Amino acid sequence: MARNFRYFEKKRGHRRTGSRTLGSLGEAIFFALLLVLGCAGIVAGFVWLVIPEWRVHHGFVETTCLVLQKKLGEKEGDGGTLYRPEIQIEYEVHGIQHYRSTYDINYDGARAYSSDRDAAAAALEPFEKGRAYPCWYDPSQPDVAVVVRGYQGWLWLVFLVPGSFVAIGAGGLLYTLLRWGKSAERRAAMVQRAQPIELFDIDRPGETRLPNIPDLSDITSSPGTKLAYRLPLSHSPGWTLLGLAAACLLWNGSVSYFIVSAVRAYLAGQPDWLLTLFILPFLAIGIALVVCFVRQLVVATAVGPTLVEISDHPLLPGGEYRLLVSQSGRLNMRSLEVWLACREEATYRQGTNARTETRQVRRLPVFRREALAILPGEPFQAECSVCVPAGAMHSFRADHNEIDWSLVVRGEVVNRQAFERAFPVIVHPLSGASTPGSGGP
Amino acid sequence: MDDAAESCPNPFSASRIGPAKGGFLFPPGQSVEGLVDRLGAAAWRGQIVGPHGSGKSTLLAALLAALGRAGRRSLAVALHDHQRRLPRDFLAAARSGRFDLLAVDGYEQLGRWHRFLLGRLCRPRRGQLGRCRLGLVVTCHRPVGLPELFRTAVDPPLAWRVAGRLQEGFPPLVTFQDVADRLAAHHGDLRETLFDLYDLFARRRGP
Amino acid sequence: MNEPAILIRLDDPPRTYRPGQSLSGQYRLESVEGDPIRAVEVSVLRYTEGKGEQDLAVHEFWRRDNDSGDLVDPRRPERFSTTLPPSPLSYDGQIIQIRWCVRVRAFLSRGRELVAEKPFRLGDGA
Repeated sequence: MARNFRYFEKKRGHRRTGSRTLGSLGEAIFFALLLVLGCAGIVAGFVWLVIPEWRVHHGFVETTCLVLQKKLGEKEGDGGTLYRPEIQIEYEVHGIQHYRSTYDINYDGARAYSSDRDAAAAALEPFEKGRAYPCWYDPSQPDVAVVVRGYQGWLWLVFLVPGSFVAIGAGGLLYTLLRWGKSAERRAAMVQRAQPIELFDIDRPGETRLPNIPDLSDITSSPGTKLAYRLPLSHSPGWTLLGLAAACLLWNGSVSYFIVSAVRAYLAGQPDWLLTLFILPFLAIGIALVVCFVRQLVVATAVGPTLVEISDHPLLPGGEYRLLVSQSGRLNMRSLEVWLACREEATYRQGTNARTETRQVRRLPVFRREALAILPGEPFQAECSVCVPAGAMHSFRADHNEIDWSLVVRGEVVNRQAFERAFPVIVHPLSGASTPGSGGP
Repeated sequence: MDDAAESCPNPFSASRIGPAKGGFLFPPGQSVEGLVDRLGAAAWRGQIVGPHGSGKSTLLAALLAALGRAGRRSLAVALHDHQRRLPRDFLAAARSGRFDLLAVDGYEQLGRWHRFLLGRLCRPRRGQLGRCRLGLVVTCHRPVGLPELFRTAVDPPLAWRVAGRLQEGFPPLVTFQDVADRLAAHHGDLRETLFDLYDLFARRRGP
Repeated sequence: MNEPAILIRLDDPPRTYRPGQSLSGQYRLESVEGDPIRAVEVSVLRYTEGKGEQDLAVHEFWRRDNDSGDLVDPRRPERFSTTLPPSPLSYDGQIIQIRWCVRVRAFLSRGRELVAEKPFRLGDGA
């Protein structure tokens, strides 16, 4: 039907109008920027906060000073009067008398002042006019001296925010680099192209081009220890943990600054209720994030890795394959079962909506064991076999429709959340190989 | 089973329910030609308003086809997935002077800047009262300030007309009550209703 | 007067074609006398049906075009033949179906088109 209008449709999701390389580059630049900002923040924190304190401990020279005067310094700040302890001292360096008003290494900086009058006054208590006390001076600048030294505990909270930037930036950059170039279109194109020519590749008879069959390389690139191949997980729990950790760090790092301010104001006897009310929901979210992260961590560490090895790959309809399933951790399990699943996924995009529907169309039991205890260092292992039904549909992948097969391991744990891990496999049509698998090596 | 049914054994398959398939079913007394007249009376500016899955994109496709038959050249864009910008080549084509009317499916998703750009492209010329340089028709879930051309809504009789038309040539496995129940469950979203009918037809047809 | 139509016939069609098997047949245009045929396209293609957007891929494609000297004689059946690929196989799933067909499209005068399809199954025969 001829049309007098042109229809522009900019695709998202599985299809893009722009360059994937440029997109990946953009992602890499974004995460690299975060990484750089985080590193810069950490470096700045060290330079301005940690190193001066460290120098006092390791670079300054100890001597004796006489306290001439002590008082509470005041100045007007934006939120009211600010206070700092001021000790006037006299000390000698190489025969030269020095007179100076000081306290600690931050005395001349903005952080010397605080709104906590009582804390500042309490800092003066240990010192008495006319008595001698140890002091430490900078040998390169004898005018600079302190009567108090020590690392402040809250100092390390300052590194939470740049630290979270580093974690997100480094993690994201690594993830982007690992994904670089492996687009769905590239995988499909690799399947449709002739087998890659490698110098020492042995020709395997019977292999043919298989349109719309997913690429094998992700699965066959990892050899097993007992069987031919170790299957990769469809979704690594590590990335979930990393994401949660980054979210925790970033959120709680940002919120902690306000919490510290609110707590200090409360301890100073001048609680800021508006600030307290403001940060309560943020605190609740931060706690929820920590709880979520800890739960995932417990699951990941207690459950341990699940490994599945298979005797041959790709699978063929009618073929029988040996499996090795290994589960480690510290688990008291009600059951551990494995099944072969086939799933259809269809994406429909119309109007302003995109909807993806997934349907499990086959669930073929492979293995089940009940009431087992797994001890640390003693992973549970089981050998079994899986049969792909004759006439089973092969794996299929197109822009909007997919048919996927996977081996699913599900563990029901006593007093704990059940876990389920899926290991994708690829089923070829019978015409794609000479004979179905018969157990492999 | 004849060739057509063998090609597509389920009448509610996604390929049969898109905006370009089947055409929009107007209420009695209304037609796409009437809509074109109404658009012309509104200086070629208008909005099609309605909830999710009520046929806005389908109506827009029918309107653009009718405009084409009337000799008006249209340039259309469909925005998806929170797309807040107009494609660059769409804007370039709009400025080229080769088109009489712009159509934006999913107008609400546009950000303020691109709505401003669109408004500038379609502002009336000086000295020509009521005439736009470019016409503009949009689809939206809520009014966006343009003259209202049509308000789409799906009731059970209309949903049954759509389902009935799709089911022509297939075994009549889906009934009016089936359609009405599912339309109510999806709060008037005809698209989701048709997807449900897909599963229902497949179950009743059997393997 | 009969409506113009395209008739497609496959040679001895089996219930299911096998990958690597030859698919051959012929097509003929009916009741198009007096209406010049500008071009005819024949494709062997597969497409998806179901609840997702249609994915379509062409396995083999031929075009006969009057402008390039391939005169299209509507009185004479034209033949086609191809070797079928190993995948994807025909499939009837719950929300996805994969269909194969031969599609013939004739371009007539005044922008008119005729389209006809002949479905077939591609399977392992297991």
